[in-house]
Amino acid sequence: MDHHDHETPPAVTITGVTKTYLTDSGDEVLALRETTLAVQPGEFVCIVGPSGCGKSTVMDMLAGFHEPTSGEIRVGGSLVTGPGADRGVVFQQPNLLPWMTVRRNVELGPRLRGSPAAERRELAERFLTMVGLDQFMDRKPYELSGGMQQRCQIARVLANDPEIILMDEPFGALDAITRERMQTELLAIWREKRKTVFFITHDVEEAVFLGTRVLVMSARPGRVVLDLPVRLGDGDAGPEMRSLPQFVALRDQVAAAIHASHDRPTAAVA
Amino acid sequence: MSTTVAAEAVTRSPTASATSPRRRRRGPGSLAVRLGVFAALLLLWWAVTAAGLVEPLFLPGPAAVWHAFVRANTCHPISAGVERVVCGEQNYFLWEHLLASLQRIAAGVSAAVVVGIALGFLMGTVRPVATVVEPYLNFLRSLPPLGYIGLLIVWFGIGDASKTWLLFLAAFPPVAMATIAGVRGIRATRIHAVQSLGASRWQVLRHVVLPSSLPAIVDGVRIAVGFAWTTVVAAELNNGIPGIGGLAYIAGTQLQTPLVIACVIVIGLAAIALDALIRGVGDLLVPWHGKA
Repeated sequence: MDHHDHETPPAVTITGVTKTYLTDSGDEVLALRETTLAVQPGEFVCIVGPSGCGKSTVMDMLAGFHEPTSGEIRVGGSLVTGPGADRGVVFQQPNLLPWMTVRRNVELGPRLRGSPAAERRELAERFLTMVGLDQFMDRKPYELSGGMQQRCQIARVLANDPEIILMDEPFGALDAITRERMQTELLAIWREKRKTVFFITHDVEEAVFLGTRVLVMSARPGRVVLDLPVRLGDGDAGPEMRSLPQFVALRDQVAAAIHASHDRPTAAVA
Repeated sequence: MSTTVAAEAVTRSPTASATSPRRRRRGPGSLAVRLGVFAALLLLWWAVTAAGLVEPLFLPGPAAVWHAFVRANTCHPISAGVERVVCGEQNYFLWEHLLASLQRIAAGVSAAVVVGIALGFLMGTVRPVATVVEPYLNFLRSLPPLGYIGLLIVWFGIGDASKTWLLFLAAFPPVAMATIAGVRGIRATRIHAVQSLGASRWQVLRHVVLPSSLPAIVDGVRIAVGFAWTTVVAAELNNGIPGIGGLAYIAGTQLQTPLVIACVIVIGLAAIALDALIRGVGDLLVPWHGKA
């Protein structure tokens, strides 16, 4: 029907979500304070902030690994109560199963759903080709480099066709050159599929480069301090985008927000 | 083209160097050292006994042990100049004694592997079960087999049943403990990753928990078989013929020291061979062990 913004139901709604947890020494830590957020389908949301700001907490709750202490999270209108195939998760570590070949790893999601062998084989081949691993389908994951394992993990998530893709610092462990290449590949895949993506990073440049929307979070208690739309050719630009003045300006704005939120607690103590 | 890409994978792979030599391979030098030490020990043994430094009853020479070994594997006159021929020792050849013990170990350890893995999974995945059962498992684990063999004989008779039970009871705690450790050692994100692909609780168990804990289970089975060997002599103290442990014990009571030593060496070598076999099977089952 029609696809105006106000007609489309949000892909994700986070309503008044607070998360506290107990440390081993019994102290209560407020990981996330009263956060409310709506994300439209097809948005590429980057969450950036210093370590310990609760960005992984948001991700864990979206994925259904942990429950909010209060508030609620809805994906596609229904309440999140646990992990599910509608939300694909790309972790910082590849988390591939070492007893399966690369191909079998990518086939795993469809296989768990009981897809016929021919169908999941075709899916695996398509997505492994997309991430450039078609030469390595019959290898074991531990025979691949870290960057290739990470691409395999991304193929595994894409082959499962989730509504939303959650990525928790997926390129954090990669070297700079591989990371840039993966960023470009990820954007190309997102342009083709237009999935809703949540992407967590502590790298400001990565956030501004990838996202259509950047959320800056501050630590203790974790909360969103800046919600910035990023419209640099709607993600159509290539790597040369990094040197555009608008890009640099946005990057500085995000970095400034992080520093401001970071300095405040220190100032309060002093 | 494909070869250059493949070469790239190999050179970039952090594990590439670790993959080619599967285990740390011993060079020919260290094999020579081992053989040399072995020959030296044999020579020392021979020299000490040949020089008459030790009473043969306490330590017979290598030749006497070899003779006892051969005698235990052949038919021979009951004593010099007598026509009546007996075969082996205690009416069985040595290999028959060994086979009988191996069969008991196989029966006891097989039961231990089945029960140990099942209980280990249950305890590793359902907390309350672990809380209730763990103290009893630790209790059983710390009991010396010799301490309760008498009880088992009262319960299950003097036949093979009590021996198999003893071997089972000695072998199953290490399998269960190793399985629990394997299950609890699985990284949470590995389970989360598969749950996010849509896996049910049962599918997580089958596709992640079971294969992930295999390396620990293989180690547990190796320890269990080791325990079974140390227990087999205790199991065969009463009515243990045929049985290599029973033969060693009876030979000892009859002061046939060469035969005791021959039995001990056979037990040791059989244990090493069996362990190597299990390790080989383990390597086939978990080729990723130590790499991922």
